[in-house]
Amino acid sequence: MSLQEFWDYLVLGLMLGSLYAVIAIGYTLVYGVLQLINFAHSEVFMVGAYGSLIVLTLVDPGANPSMLASIGFVALAMAGSALFGGVTAYGLEKVAYRPLRRRGAPRLIFLITAIGASFFLYNLAGKLFGRDPSTLPEMYKNENVFTIFGAGVNITQLLQFATAVVMMIALDLLVNRTKLGKGIRAVAQDAEVASLMGVDIDKVISRTFIIGGVLGGVAGFLFANLNQVSYTMGFIPGITAFAAAVVGGIGNIRGAMLGGVLIGIVETMTVPLLGDEWRSVSAMVVLILVLMFRPMGILGERVGRAA
Amino acid sequence: MLNKTVIKLAIPVAVGALALTGCGGGDSGSGDTVKIAFEGPLSGDNVALGENMQNGVQLAIKQANASGDLGFKLEYVAADDQGLPDKAPTAAQKVIDDPDVKAVVGPAFSGPTNTASPSYAEAGLVTVTPSATNPLLTDEANGFTSLLRAVPNDNMQGKAMGDFFSKKIGAKKVYLIDDKTDYGVGLSKVAEATLKAAGVSVVKKSVPQKTPDYSATAKDVVNSKADGLIYAGYYQDLAPFAKKLSDAGFKGAAISGDGSNDAKFVELAGSASENWYLTCPCTDATVEAGTKKFAEDYQKEFNRAPGTYSAEAYDVANMIIAEIKKAGKDVEREALRDALAKASYKGLTKTFSFEKNGEFKGTDVFVYQVKSGKIAYQGNVNELIG
Repeated sequence: MSLQEFWDYLVLGLMLGSLYAVIAIGYTLVYGVLQLINFAHSEVFMVGAYGSLIVLTLVDPGANPSMLASIGFVALAMAGSALFGGVTAYGLEKVAYRPLRRRGAPRLIFLITAIGASFFLYNLAGKLFGRDPSTLPEMYKNENVFTIFGAGVNITQLLQFATAVVMMIALDLLVNRTKLGKGIRAVAQDAEVASLMGVDIDKVISRTFIIGGVLGGVAGFLFANLNQVSYTMGFIPGITAFAAAVVGGIGNIRGAMLGGVLIGIVETMTVPLLGDEWRSVSAMVVLILVLMFRPMGILGERVGRAA
Repeated sequence: MLNKTVIKLAIPVAVGALALTGCGGGDSGSGDTVKIAFEGPLSGDNVALGENMQNGVQLAIKQANASGDLGFKLEYVAADDQGLPDKAPTAAQKVIDDPDVKAVVGPAFSGPTNTASPSYAEAGLVTVTPSATNPLLTDEANGFTSLLRAVPNDNMQGKAMGDFFSKKIGAKKVYLIDDKTDYGVGLSKVAEATLKAAGVSVVKKSVPQKTPDYSATAKDVVNSKADGLIYAGYYQDLAPFAKKLSDAGFKGAAISGDGSNDAKFVELAGSASENWYLTCPCTDATVEAGTKKFAEDYQKEFNRAPGTYSAEAYDVANMIIAEIKKAGKDVEREALRDALAKASYKGLTKTFSFEKNGEFKGTDVFVYQVKSGKIAYQGNVNELIG
């Protein structure tokens, strides 16, 4: 691989990794407050993608929209995906998890419920939206905007990367600087004590789900913009992002970001070196290697302590 | 409390009802109805290809019933295998268990054909596939004794792709990608051999279906400085890949096979599909003179133009209907299978007859190209490279 090719793939890997990072945060947040692996998160991601598709179909960008209109369409699509993702995650918590929590169900039951919810959601989506893939209508003409280390970056990639970074910074601030963030951290550290201190656990958990859902939904939009929309689109990115969350240290927000970017870069670098068929293999090898030496992930567990 | 009682009562009632309907369906072995099944993807990611064929079969059955000279009633049975090898045996079993089913059109894809054919062979139920093109399927060692292939196999198509690139395009270096399916791997192997024999250098890679991001592969294609690209796979994955290729600035000639030859490819990939070549052992029903009438009937019935393999599925269904008509409605499955294997039937698209191992006799492959958002028919590959 020449130096130029190395930069090319590094930039591509960073773009993909930023997307994985945003999805991984959804897993990590929920794990932080509930110690639950929310396997239905990949479906939140998928629903978010359909949200943007629905909005864009309604407003119909047409051919060659002006630059201002393009920005408007992107914003609308993003808002649509955030809304659909947030509502789905909220509903999921309310319908699938809260009743279990009330009854003090064992962890395993939560996990099975999560998998069941995931099956339910993607089959429902297949029924509602059809099992054929679709693409988002073109919101702008995808051109290279600038070059970094000789690697061209186009609008789709820039949008993907910038949105991911902005969302991650916003989330970091939210968790570390706001009252809600304090609540999330408190519940993550010790839910019982937090409730004794006057934290409304239900509210905090519900909002944590919404935040994760909004991030997942927008990631769904970005992914759909990169690839396409289908009812099974959540599965592979979902599993990969989950692995990324574990690599970084599940429950740890910054860990999820780091894990996502790492896995994205490793996957992309695999393509020229070994071929695309080794993509997922190499991601999982990274996971195993990290867990061998740091069983709690690179940055360790828990939202409360490390973030 | 009330709820619990209701549920307690409801469950046996529901189970009983299911059992009853189950028996009702199984008993009617003799009657005035003969069923023809179609096995293919009727849900899942490649549903468009399945529906193309299902419509063709349904149209043939409807017209045969309407003609009034059958003396029995034909009925259509759908067997959905989602295009997936692991779903196919179940779909096949459902068809086999219905004694009224005398013949099957399909399975549509090579993978499912491979996994479903042992059951069909055991049941003696003939399957005539208009589209499963993996060459290995007709290998006699498989023992797929009920399988007839009504289409030139991938050896023909892969060779056509290779010939087209070396002789017509004049490519020096070709980047060849398969999607790791039985179909894609088979097609790419033959294309690779044909290209190498013609002195063209080949970079061969595999990109499994549903890869989350095609950017890196697209970059690899551009970096390899290949002036030609062959994608052996289905439109659902080709569409995002074609987009990334266009973003990455690939300028060479690109070709894919019949798995991508569907209007859905153009719809999904948009302007990125422009100028892509597509090969297919299928003719364009809307262009060829022989199939004009069929295309109109199809349009009227389903309110859209026939797609890839619609006309071939229609032909195969009609061929089966003709044989059943000859043999009578009480024909045994095995007898119908043997009759079809020996038959020669002149369809709208081509003449159907089979080798001893069920392989299709005939080699015609056709080339299409996406031009201003339409898949435009270019002609027979042998004439194009001439």
